Amino acid sequence: MPRPSAGSPNGSTTPANGTLGGACIPYVPFMTQTTPGATAPLIQIRSVRKQYPTAAGAFTALDGVSLTIDRGEFVAVIGESGSGKSTLLSLMAGIDRPSSGEVIVGDTAVHQLGEAAMSEWRGRTVGIVFQFFQLLPTLSAAENVMLPMDFCNRWPSRERRARAIAILDSLGVADQADKLPSRLSGGQQQRVAIARALANDPPLLLADEPTGNLDSRTSEAMLELFANLVRDGRTLVLVTHATTALRFAGRAITIADGHILSDASTLAHA
Amino acid sequence: MLSPRWRKAAGDLLMHKGRTLLVIVAIAVGLAGSGVILNAWALVEVATTEGFHASDPAAATLRLDLVDSALLARVRRVPGVRDVQARRVTSARATVGGASVSAMLFTVEDFTALRIGRVLPKVGEWPPADGSLTIETSSVAFSGAAVGEDVQLGFGAGRLVATRVRGIVRDVTLAPGWMEHVLYGFVSQETLERMGAPSAMNELQLVVSDHSLDRDGVRRIAYAARAAAEASGRRVFDVDVPVPGEHIHAAQMDSLLYTQGAFALMALVLSALLVVNLVSAMLAGQTREIGVMKAIGGRWQQIAAMYLVVAAVLGVAALAPAVPIALVAGRQYAAVKAELLNFEIAGHAVPAWVIALQVVVGILLPVIAAAFPVWRGCRIQVSDALRDVGISDAGSTDGLAYRVSGLSRPLLFSLRNAFRRRQRMALTLLALASGGAVFLGALNLRASVLGATGAIFDTQHYDFSLRVSEPQVADSLEMMVRAVSGVEAAEAWTGARATIDHGDGLSGNSIPVTAAPAGTQMLSPTVLEGRWLRAGDTRALVVNRGAQHADGALQVGATVRLTIDAVTERWTVVGLVESTPGPTAYATREALVARGGGVRTIVVRSAIPGDVAQLDLIQRLRGALADRGVSVSSSTMLAESRRSTEDHLLMVVDFLGSMGWLMLLVGGLGLASTMGLAVLERTREIGVLRAIGARHSTILIMIQVEGLTVALLSWALAIPLSIPMSVFLAKAFSRIMLRVPVTYVPNMTGVGIWLGLAVVVSLLACAWPARRAMRVPTAAALAYD
Repeated sequence: MPRPSAGSPNGSTTPANGTLGGACIPYVPFMTQTTPGATAPLIQIRSVRKQYPTAAGAFTALDGVSLTIDRGEFVAVIGESGSGKSTLLSLMAGIDRPSSGEVIVGDTAVHQLGEAAMSEWRGRTVGIVFQFFQLLPTLSAAENVMLPMDFCNRWPSRERRARAIAILDSLGVADQADKLPSRLSGGQQQRVAIARALANDPPLLLADEPTGNLDSRTSEAMLELFANLVRDGRTLVLVTHATTALRFAGRAITIADGHILSDASTLAHA
Repeated sequence: MLSPRWRKAAGDLLMHKGRTLLVIVAIAVGLAGSGVILNAWALVEVATTEGFHASDPAAATLRLDLVDSALLARVRRVPGVRDVQARRVTSARATVGGASVSAMLFTVEDFTALRIGRVLPKVGEWPPADGSLTIETSSVAFSGAAVGEDVQLGFGAGRLVATRVRGIVRDVTLAPGWMEHVLYGFVSQETLERMGAPSAMNELQLVVSDHSLDRDGVRRIAYAARAAAEASGRRVFDVDVPVPGEHIHAAQMDSLLYTQGAFALMALVLSALLVVNLVSAMLAGQTREIGVMKAIGGRWQQIAAMYLVVAAVLGVAALAPAVPIALVAGRQYAAVKAELLNFEIAGHAVPAWVIALQVVVGILLPVIAAAFPVWRGCRIQVSDALRDVGISDAGSTDGLAYRVSGLSRPLLFSLRNAFRRRQRMALTLLALASGGAVFLGALNLRASVLGATGAIFDTQHYDFSLRVSEPQVADSLEMMVRAVSGVEAAEAWTGARATIDHGDGLSGNSIPVTAAPAGTQMLSPTVLEGRWLRAGDTRALVVNRGAQHADGALQVGATVRLTIDAVTERWTVVGLVESTPGPTAYATREALVARGGGVRTIVVRSAIPGDVAQLDLIQRLRGALADRGVSVSSSTMLAESRRSTEDHLLMVVDFLGSMGWLMLLVGGLGLASTMGLAVLERTREIGVLRAIGARHSTILIMIQVEGLTVALLSWALAIPLSIPMSVFLAKAFSRIMLRVPVTYVPNMTGVGIWLGLAVVVSLLACAWPARRAMRVPTAAALAYD
């Protein structure tokens, strides 16, 4: 059966430049190719502090954190519950804003973006994978994947479904394309969630406990999948409290009580 | 094919079909209610405007001793006069199927040349042939007359002449015959002569060239015509100038429709509150989805557009049944209104712009209602949205619901649940309480109207009146009547029409003057200002509010120039009284009789109560008077007049009250929707309750108690709200029909009925949500997210 082709952002059909699960992922690392100063780090976190008001007073989730992440890195952020690792991810994704400090992704000062610009930037630049998948229950798997394309309007509408099917196929769930999330297993839902994160071909993937709701076998498969995405040229930051991820990540950042305790290469992909 | 985001919007709507349907029904009820009023108003407006103008109604009518062709020619030359026409109006008596009614017969020299006040032939013969009668359609049902049957017509003391009804026409310039209790008929001069009635023309109708003239402008021309008539040696008794281009009851009808329109609009706004509740709940339930959509690139404007389109779809769905229902019901309602105005709506259509307006409002209203919750919901920070865990707020724990004690745990749980979504509860409460306030207000208005009519009729201390064909000497007529057994008391009254001469060449329209003997025992209206009439008053006048409203010169203490029977004299207004809705003045009988002429009316108090006894007495009086050569042209029973007046007034009260039912329906749907949302949001809690042993009946009672809490609060809130509502309704009614006092305090029966209604509405509204709560399997409820 011929595989559906998927267009590139400019509408042309791009030959596969990477493989994942035996399927083609039409990734074009556009930021790397087009942004001047491409050798600069992709993510720069500078003296970031994040506090949340609570009934008991302000709670400091991150306290003066600084770090940089280069393009093509697979970074695992590890820490216990409440350590601040998810907050760090939210700041990178522009989901949350720092109380002080700077978050720069590419040439974009994320912390300075307005709400609407932030959404648009996020849709084009960041693919987010959540712990609980967060698929929209009233949309089929393919429609969930098409939704970011719909919002960001990066592909012609007639090509969106074909692209969604191609991505789902590359993740091994094309046969589930027309099913509602409630009819899928946890692993299938997470693959659909990853497909959705890839929908707009973002250079940066952020995953928040993506294996937290999966059994160990599925978790391994999922981490393998992430590693392949990094090999295709994407940058991945994965937040987890499980050490299994260290086998796949190239760098591990350990956080505790809002501070970075350690930041080291795991040599997994050296 | 729909893009995913629009498919999501559609999926959200279809996910909870029952809840969506409730809101659609509520909007449809609001739209249909307001649509009915709007359609009726537009249709009546079109029908009356076109019908009235098509008839080319008289701009002014002069009543004279005689109108001949020379006078017509002379008046036609008066500047500003476009056309003139002569007619005769004859008061007669008619007997239809053995029942006597008053008749008003219209005659012109040539009906085929009728140009002013043209009539619309409906059935049978037009124009009326000699010896036959064509009746006006609004008199048909009330009189019982029918085409092909005879009506006995009589004039004065003359014999009754059988006259065959050969046709029915509509004359839109006349107030409905059933309302006036008059049989309107059209007869030829020859028919009048057969009855022994004068047939010479005695009214001059004119129309003016300039349609833009106001009432005073027309009056100037009418008074120039009067001057021309008087210069020709004619006596002009009266000049009547109606409001140009407006039917006599148009202002009342407009007021009624505007008032009803205000309520219909309220129902519409209340239905919009349900949209607020639905969309707020939808957004609250989808907070995390909103967060996810924003996280994957959706801008808040894009997400907001999805929900606003959902709201617009609700409107479109509501329009589908509402527009046709409003068209059909509006047409029927318009027919009722048109009947009140003596118009017909056949052949007229609701203007397209009216339907277009309903469509626009139907779509925009839910969108506008949803705008704020959507804006608030979609502006949420992604991080906050992703952290959302649904309904966890227990509400404020320092509220009243948390201070109540002594109830069982499930009841306390229900009571506290009712206060968990305060904004939603407040809107639901408002919707239901508004319906209750209108309901109680309408009951208060009914009491006010009955009180006001009672106040009017209770001041008339007689049982019936007889009108005699020829003027009689007061004392002898009274003696004749008192001599008949069963008569407890009798007084001879007379009357006239008076016109106020302002001295600037213009006069107002004539008002009726009722003249009872000084020191009358049969009439004691409530004096609002000044005093009532007394013996020795010669040119003293007492007026009612209607007269004062018609002519501001009639203030107590003022001296006015009154023209009665072409004689102008100075009269002093000595008092203001509360009496009939229309303008009326009172003078002593002695004052009018002294000017020449006798009396035409005798009012009688029967010694034996009851309608049957009074009818018997009327028959015996007719016989006794006939034996003395006095012919009775008509009789009127006071109880019948009172019933008729009350029926007409209460019909308007019921029209206004019907809007209360509409609002109650919307309020009930609101409660059902709110409880549906509450059950949905607390599915997991219900699962927990069932897991720890709550039975079906416990869940059912908890949901019903929660609904009853809202209903009882609405009941209580409606009671104070009914006070401003009562004031508004009383003022609106006073403007439309009859000045009525405001009844502020709701009567206990009404409050009791409203309590029963609130309970029933609550039980019905909660039945579906409670059933739904009972049917959710425990495992599914616990898994619900």
